[in-house]
Amino acid sequence: MSNLSVQNLTKTFSTATGHLEILNGVGLEMSKGDSVSVTGPSGCGKSTLLYILGLLDSPTSGSYELLGENVSELSKDRQADIRNKEIGFIFQEHHLLPQCTVLENVLIPTIPASLDPQDKKERAENLLNKVGLHERLNHRPGQLSGGERQRVAVCRSLINAPALLLADEPTGSLDPSTADGVGNLLLELASEQETMLLCVTHSVELADRFSRRLDLQNGTLVDVSNS
Amino acid sequence: MSAIRLILKSLLYYWKTNLAVLLGVVAGSTVIGGALIVGDSVRESLSQITLKRLGKVDFALSSPRFFREELAGEIAASPQFTNDYSSVAPGLSLSAALQFTSNETKETRRANQVGLWGLDQRLWSMIGPDDIPAPVGREIILSQQTAEALQVKSGDEISLFVELPATIPRGSILGERKETSQELTFNVSHILSGQSSADRFQLNPSQKLTLNAYVSLEELQVYLDLAAIRRSPKYPEGMPAKINSLFVAAKGTNSHQLESATTSNNILNQQVKDSLTLDDLQLKLRTIEDHSYVTLESHQMILDATTESAASKAANSLDCQASPVLVYLANELGNNSSPENYSMYSVIAGLDRATLNYPPFGPPPMRSGEWPVKMNDDQIVLNSWLADNLKIEVGDKINVKWHVVGSHGELPEVEHSFEVTGIVNLNGPIDDLGLTPKLPGITDVDTYDEWDQPFEMDLGRLTEADERYWEGGVDPDDPTQMTKAYRATPKAFVSLNTAQKLWHSRYGNLTSYRFAPGDSAGELTKFEGQVADAFLEAYDPVSAGISFRPVQALGLQASQGTTDFSALFIAFSFFLIISAMLLIGLLFRLGIEQRLSEIGLLHSIGWSDKMVKRHIVVESLVVILIGAVLGAYASINYAEAMMTALTTRWVGAIGTSELSIALKPGSLMIGAAISIVVASGAVLWSLRQFKSQSYRSMLNGIFREETQHKIVTRTRSYAWGAGGTAVALLILTTLGIIPDAEAFAGLSVKVVMFFIVGMLGLACSLLTMSVWISRDKELAIQGVGIAALANLAVRNASRNRSRSVLTTGLISSATFVIVAVAAGQKNPTAEGPELDSGNGGFQLVAESSQPILPNLNSVSGRDEALEFINQPEMKESPEIVAILEKTNIFAFRRQPGEDASCLNPYQTTLPTVLGATKKMRERGGFTFSGVSDDHPWTLLDQELPPDEDGLAVYPVFGDLNTLQYSLHKGIGDRIPVPNAENPKAWLQIVGAFTGSIFQGVLVASEEDFLDLFPEREGYEWFLIGGPSENVQELTRADAMLLSNYLETGLNQFGFDSNRVADRLDAFLKVQNTYLKTFQTLGGLGLLLGTIGLGTVMLRNVIERGGELSLLRAVGFRNGAVTQLVLLENVFLLSWGLISGSAAALFSMSPHLLSVGANVPWLSLIYLLLGVFCAGMISALAAVIQAVTTPVLTTLRSDS
Repeated sequence: MSNLSVQNLTKTFSTATGHLEILNGVGLEMSKGDSVSVTGPSGCGKSTLLYILGLLDSPTSGSYELLGENVSELSKDRQADIRNKEIGFIFQEHHLLPQCTVLENVLIPTIPASLDPQDKKERAENLLNKVGLHERLNHRPGQLSGGERQRVAVCRSLINAPALLLADEPTGSLDPSTADGVGNLLLELASEQETMLLCVTHSVELADRFSRRLDLQNGTLVDVSNS
Repeated sequence: MSAIRLILKSLLYYWKTNLAVLLGVVAGSTVIGGALIVGDSVRESLSQITLKRLGKVDFALSSPRFFREELAGEIAASPQFTNDYSSVAPGLSLSAALQFTSNETKETRRANQVGLWGLDQRLWSMIGPDDIPAPVGREIILSQQTAEALQVKSGDEISLFVELPATIPRGSILGERKETSQELTFNVSHILSGQSSADRFQLNPSQKLTLNAYVSLEELQVYLDLAAIRRSPKYPEGMPAKINSLFVAAKGTNSHQLESATTSNNILNQQVKDSLTLDDLQLKLRTIEDHSYVTLESHQMILDATTESAASKAANSLDCQASPVLVYLANELGNNSSPENYSMYSVIAGLDRATLNYPPFGPPPMRSGEWPVKMNDDQIVLNSWLADNLKIEVGDKINVKWHVVGSHGELPEVEHSFEVTGIVNLNGPIDDLGLTPKLPGITDVDTYDEWDQPFEMDLGRLTEADERYWEGGVDPDDPTQMTKAYRATPKAFVSLNTAQKLWHSRYGNLTSYRFAPGDSAGELTKFEGQVADAFLEAYDPVSAGISFRPVQALGLQASQGTTDFSALFIAFSFFLIISAMLLIGLLFRLGIEQRLSEIGLLHSIGWSDKMVKRHIVVESLVVILIGAVLGAYASINYAEAMMTALTTRWVGAIGTSELSIALKPGSLMIGAAISIVVASGAVLWSLRQFKSQSYRSMLNGIFREETQHKIVTRTRSYAWGAGGTAVALLILTTLGIIPDAEAFAGLSVKVVMFFIVGMLGLACSLLTMSVWISRDKELAIQGVGIAALANLAVRNASRNRSRSVLTTGLISSATFVIVAVAAGQKNPTAEGPELDSGNGGFQLVAESSQPILPNLNSVSGRDEALEFINQPEMKESPEIVAILEKTNIFAFRRQPGEDASCLNPYQTTLPTVLGATKKMRERGGFTFSGVSDDHPWTLLDQELPPDEDGLAVYPVFGDLNTLQYSLHKGIGDRIPVPNAENPKAWLQIVGAFTGSIFQGVLVASEEDFLDLFPEREGYEWFLIGGPSENVQELTRADAMLLSNYLETGLNQFGFDSNRVADRLDAFLKVQNTYLKTFQTLGGLGLLLGTIGLGTVMLRNVIERGGELSLLRAVGFRNGAVTQLVLLENVFLLSWGLISGSAAALFSMSPHLLSVGANVPWLSLIYLLLGVFCAGMISALAAVIQAVTTPVLTTLRSDS
């Protein structure tokens, strides 16, 4: 049984010259522990798909079920609740809050959740320990390297143990060596937590390391895992 | 990690943005709190001035009548007085003209309308300084203002001209009209310092030091024949000393509260009523023993309405016979068919026939004919003596001639013909001298020759029979017999109704009221006592004007002010507040834009919209709260600065420099609360704009405006709409298709239309700018050098179009209001006389300290009134004679009241009322608001129905400013007379003058005025101008000569004239001061707006850091980059300033083209230049940012 099911998903934008169809009948199934990469040329709609799956955007038509619930039709508050509890995001830009320390940045998603503060802190420290940042807990983002910042962002995305982890070009702004490290870390942690991982990337090297590789062509997903 | 911790961290991290927002809140809070403190301070200062003005006087009774001084002692002796009040003081309160001729320079200086107070130590201890004793003998103490006006010093001798109290009203036939004024001389003993209550003592609320003079009560009483006269053979009845005012000091401060003061006041009024005697009311009861009745008469020779009412009630309560009487003096009674048969100077009585059926008043012993119960107005009954002497029989006609008193004291003779219905024998109830009130000098003299009457008599026409009737003598029919001396016994009788129609007087309708005891009434003397008691019991002293008023409490209530200075200063600071709020909104928005990706992140990690919004709002609320608290503190300093300005540069607004700061915690809290609400509103307004942003664009840190082409299309259609409407309105107005009537508040449709066109023009200008900078048809980079940079700068302004339009809009609208307000200033001194204008076509406005009866328009009237003792040559001056020939003097009657003009900041209830003559109403002139009638002055002639309680309602005009700001009344509203507690009548506003010389007063018709205030004699207010058909004929130079002539000749009346233009200028000074205040505070707002512009520029530069670095990388010098940034700033700033100024000047063009326009061009230009410079300086931060950011770092981070 799929934990994530997308059927006939479309997304159309209005422009000055008319309508622009970005996604055209996208279908996707994912189960616990799946890791999927999505590739495609710039502007093909990869990120749009990601944001729709992350409930930060809404489809024009089609259905999207997450953990058995049709999430695309829920209220904004309920969507926010699902984003907080079941979805983790990693972006190309780390989007760390410059006013907060490393530990605090990881803990920010826990603010809406009513968890025990001590538990939250321990979990954050564990995650940061795993990514090798246990000595940088009280550092500010400005004091970290690009790779370190992205590792903090990974920890932040996993702090609430989400069922779905979405990554939008997570290594796009990193040098190859650091990118490789971050890619590995992402796959390891997702596997360890049995989280569904969907990653949008331009990097074929990174994409090939996922259990499935999908290519977004003419608005639809094409499985290119075995090609 | 918690939400609170995150907020605190964000507050600290983004401290620069938060500090900027905080400063905006501080500015707003400072201005709002400061305005509230200013309001509190003005009110408190006015209260303090009230307490100082009245000293220890809590209650005052000031009456038009003179009553016994002993009343003060009688009130003080009552047990209740001892408990609640500390002292009572008698006094004389008069208006005087003072004159001083310097021994050294021989120059004569005058002070008119000086408050002259006759007092003793009792009143002086309530208001005078402790170190100066009360005046005695011929000493006079002058207030500082009076001394300055006269330029006198202690020891100088000065003259006082004061109106002589008239026992008989001057407007009645027997009233004294020649000798109305008395010159008194006093020696200045002390000049007050300007700090004591005596320096500003007056009963009406005013903030100003007043023209006051204090003399000994005893001395003034002697001068004015009000001193006590012991009984003597010459004065068998004697006379107690008289006063017209009483002052009471209460114990404690309860009298400062209106409610408790009203209770105390009522107690005092009851004590006055209990102590009043007939003599206090100038009444007397006379026993007519021959006819066994008692008659109530007045020293004034007329019984007023209050007396008549009380007499009627007394007769009812005594259940006795009563007969009201009105007698009049006929000059001549003549046989209609044989004019040679006549009788001179005879008394005719008006009697109610129904009261003459029983003794002692009747029945009339008829000789022939009848005395009908209902006589018509042409019927008369003669006594047998007259019928015999005039050889008249029943059915014949008799001509009666008598004097009427004209409004200027002239005595034209009128004639009426009556048909004789009956002849009554001159005996029994008809032979009754008691019908005619006793009048010393007339009824008690033996011959006509001894009459002491105030009019000329034609003694040559007296017949022997007349003399015999008066004096008695040898009976011509029987020389052995002597005839009786009938004296003033009436010779003819008409009905009381007819008498009251023919000889109606504004003072009253009866000359006496006769009471006859019933059979059981006992002796006559005892009955007289019963009548007196019953009458005084029924008499209402309050309705007669003999009543106390809680002046201290009323004054303190009035100190709440005509104008709410808190609201006024908030209005003046409108643009400052708006600028602060827009700045808060702008800075906040910039801050949010800066953190857009952070907000996007919070959404992406599952924060709901509400949570994110709450997070932002709480964070900004902390900033706002801190700002509001700091602003509350700063508002004290701001208020101090405003108060300093109000006592110096803006002193004209309140008219006193005695203002001090009054801090009320409540106001500080309200100020802070308002600023919190307003600033929060600004924040929420800014937040609304992020509502449509997608999470994705926020995550990417991009604020997306609506699709450009949509905006441009929509904006272009708006611009066309605004511009098209403006042009259409302009054409319709100019061609007169829209009629130029009054729109509202005295503004014409034309003026309003021009204003609307100006505002539409401004809107069109901003919309055009919005479209123009967004244009994409033209190449942005055109030309070379600075021209190319300028093009690029304009294109840059379109990068964030809404920011650019918002800041330009803020600057242009602030400029519009400031320029429009400045352009609205007027200078009436530049205006010539115009019939339909605020000056009404008049050159001079004058007031006199004492009423003037003679007609100053006539040669005889001037001969009578004007005296040129020291300058006789002035009277004959040909220049003056020529000027007088083309001069019209319009005299108004005046009932003094509170000054309700804008020069008085106190709340007023009943201002001075003027009575306009028919001639003035027919002349017309002045401009009106809210009146559609072509001849507005006729509205004063209308008869309004009485109110539901039967009280009369009289139509009046008021000045629009007076009505709106001082009285808070509009057309159709009513004002009670004399006060709301005991209204006797109502004044209903039927029209409003606009910008007129009548500011501070109400104008009624003379007829209504005399109904309302019958005791007011003569004329005390004057408008002087050229002939109505050509008002400009009397030039300014003529007016100045005329002013000097009249002031000199009417010196004894305290005549004081001023140019109408100067008076209007004084009124407008207040308005202009307000405009100046608005301009200054608006200018500050505009400066704040330029800071907003600077902030926008800085933000733009930060956002375009990469572009600017690129320009520098490709070879642009720092100078070129600086020019690029500054040119964009110049473009936005100039567009705002120029479009705002142009639209405002166009809006005000009807006013600017008028003669009285007085635009402070220089200060306006300085202000706008200052704003421009400030705007350029505020852009320096953006320039520095643009040229100091490292090129490489910026390019790298942007890549």
